[in-house]
Amino acid sequence: MNNHWFQIKTKLLNNIVWILLLLAVIVIGGLDSSFFTPTIMGNVLSQAAVLGILSFAQSFAIMLGLIDLSLLGVMSFSATMGLILIERGAPVLLAIPVIFLTGALLGAMNGFLIAKLKAVALVETLAVKLTLLGAFLVITEGRAITSMPPSYKWFGQGTILGIPTLPIALAVVFIAVYVLWNKTPYGRSLYAVGGNENAAHTSGIKVDHIKIIAFTISGFLAGVAGFFLSAYMGAVTSTFGTSYDMNNIAASVIGGVACSGGQGNVLGVLGGVLLLTVIQVGLQILGVSSYYVQMINGLIIFVAVLLDALRLKTQHS
Amino acid sequence: MKQKDSNPGFGKGQVGIMEETVLQVENIRKNFGMTQALKDVTFSIRKGTIHSLLGRNGAGKSTVVNIIAGIYRQNSGKVLLEGKEISAYSVFDRQNMGIKIVPQHASIVPNLTVGENIFLGIWPQKKLFVDWKRLYEDAKAELDKYGLEVNPRTKVSTLNGVDQRKVNIIRAMHGGAKLIILDEPTTALSSKEREELFVFVNELKKKGTSFIFISHYLQEVVDLSDDVTVIRDGRSFAGADGELLSEEKLANLIAGEDVELICRDILDTPDESRLFMECRHLSGTILKDVSVKLYQGEITGLVGFPGSGARELCRTLFGLEKITSGEILYSKKKVVIKNPFDAIQHGIAYVSYDRHREGIVGLMSIRENISMPLFSSSLKTKWGLINQRKSEEIALRYFDRFHMKANSVNDRLKSLSGGNQQKVVVAKSVSTDPRLLILDEPTIGIDIKSREEIIENVIKTTEEKLTSVLYLTNDFDELLRTVDRILFFKDGKLVQDVRNDHLSHEDVIRLRDSVTEKSAGTHQEVSP
Repeated sequence: MNNHWFQIKTKLLNNIVWILLLLAVIVIGGLDSSFFTPTIMGNVLSQAAVLGILSFAQSFAIMLGLIDLSLLGVMSFSATMGLILIERGAPVLLAIPVIFLTGALLGAMNGFLIAKLKAVALVETLAVKLTLLGAFLVITEGRAITSMPPSYKWFGQGTILGIPTLPIALAVVFIAVYVLWNKTPYGRSLYAVGGNENAAHTSGIKVDHIKIIAFTISGFLAGVAGFFLSAYMGAVTSTFGTSYDMNNIAASVIGGVACSGGQGNVLGVLGGVLLLTVIQVGLQILGVSSYYVQMINGLIIFVAVLLDALRLKTQHS
Repeated sequence: MKQKDSNPGFGKGQVGIMEETVLQVENIRKNFGMTQALKDVTFSIRKGTIHSLLGRNGAGKSTVVNIIAGIYRQNSGKVLLEGKEISAYSVFDRQNMGIKIVPQHASIVPNLTVGENIFLGIWPQKKLFVDWKRLYEDAKAELDKYGLEVNPRTKVSTLNGVDQRKVNIIRAMHGGAKLIILDEPTTALSSKEREELFVFVNELKKKGTSFIFISHYLQEVVDLSDDVTVIRDGRSFAGADGELLSEEKLANLIAGEDVELICRDILDTPDESRLFMECRHLSGTILKDVSVKLYQGEITGLVGFPGSGARELCRTLFGLEKITSGEILYSKKKVVIKNPFDAIQHGIAYVSYDRHREGIVGLMSIRENISMPLFSSSLKTKWGLINQRKSEEIALRYFDRFHMKANSVNDRLKSLSGGNQQKVVVAKSVSTDPRLLILDEPTIGIDIKSREEIIENVIKTTEEKLTSVLYLTNDFDELLRTVDRILFFKDGKLVQDVRNDHLSHEDVIRLRDSVTEKSAGTHQEVSP
């Protein structure tokens, strides 16, 4: 095989998310030019925020070659905890840290069980998800929690210097994760553990710590996502966050985080998030029946996994 | 040197009445894109012989083998099986014609039984179902035929390394094999297991099967082969012209230049002031009451069969295996080493015998692989970030010192050859400036030039920094050129501690096989 062509092919496959994003924007904008109005664009960025934060959370697990199914549960449960405190009269500034802390603790528990007790991540996180979603139903008895002060809602609906809060939150989380992954010993250790756990261990990296911290951050970010989504929607309902449930996995994988672990970058994940959001919003403004949406979501995950397989295949040839 | 009296016509490859040619490879050329992997390769394999293919990593041995097996198609040239041109045939056709390949990593399914592994893909069937009774009967017959005494109903995972490889070869023999390609079959086998495998292969050879044998151990090649072909720069060279094979001559032929074999001036017994590490009565799952003193600037060799305690001592000192009793003193202070992190903090570094499992992160760059043990210590800035410039400096230093072959320190490890990967692994351990450097088969499966460059660097580090080195290898010539003293292990115990005072290869084997416990822990002079 020609070496030059091989390099181009690898580059293309690793950055395909941006090509797809460009294509999606052109197609949707071409069909309905109202897509390019500031309102819709702002809408895309706001919707991307929650999916983005969740996808970054998911990427920590995928970097380790694992899948975290518990994120939806963690996010709903954490947000509910904070809102119940508010209902009982606690100040907003107390409730918010409680939401984050609940997420981080649940994530730490996942990490501990997976790293120390060697629980299978897929099944363990599934159990946690089902339990938390169940607990959420028990606590709320199926009703929507809507009582929240304007100061809480501001975090999801307000603006800073004319810029909506949600895109700002996404940018902050993006930069934090970017620095963490690329510039810090922790981030490089995460890549090493994902790439070859035994070699990392033999190089003196504390593999268990890296894993527990990864899940703790992941849970924390799920809490953050729950907080912003609840503030944005002004409510926590029984279908809270379900539209982000599997899409966060799809966004990470389309963005180039390899399911086998140890490979991927934060910018790619952001690309994946924007792509999925553009498609979602695009379907809405094109007036595609909501019956199709789930099927299209399925197809997107399908594309993601095929891309992942193709990347792996190119590397091995 | 072993006499090759059984092969009067050695190396000539004449086709006589007694010597039919099984396979001929004529003027093979193969391009991969822009690069020309093979320019002109010609050799022939006689019936009932073992023909070794030698060459550096990346010289094109695998390409030749893959062309013979039909996995690649050559750009020009011919491949003839018993005089018949077979270039147009597929892999499966060639398998049916009797060309079988036994790959480097055992292609067996550990959790299935021996019998099922032999008939994998060709299960005997009763209608749609597997005929288990017949499968095990047939498997038993096959195993008996080739003299492998294992129950076909046992799981392959319970067999030892050499029996697993035999199962692999029997699987290849099944259905009739004219030519079996053995790609590095002895990697990770002990010398005893190797000998056992060679006996097995020699038996099959006598029955008329031919073998292509690929190995990095020249000694092995010299002992086992009837013919040798060296691949270098895409061309083939006959390993010997009517002469006996010699390891040195082959080494030079492979390198295409005279490789200088590094040899260390052996140190006298160091005085006690240089003592810096002491193990007292260490016991673990395998180790039994091992006491040993290690000195600065001394290279200590370790010899012993797998499970003898030699490797276990290495891994225990690095925190990869637990101790149940005993203590480790470091500069006369007791230390506890629970894991590799602790070990590195105490200035201990380890190179694993299994590069792929415990050595490299293939997806990461040379720079990051070398930096890995330093991520959280000397490379961390006060802001908690990684000092990229320092990391680059360290990597560049070792990149030059080890003569690594790559475009830059940013190349990913998986794009490098085995020899260069191993250089990175050794560089990584040296980069921590260890006071004790533990090398567990540091040159396994790599080419000669890389091997010498690694040994040279280990010796240099030892002399410059007064590092203490533990050196485990099954290549006894390499051992004798490098170490100052040798520890012999058996059944978990340290049974002999000998200075490397003009010892020969044979001495080491004799000592290994005859060791008793009486002289444990004492320095003993052995007159060769």
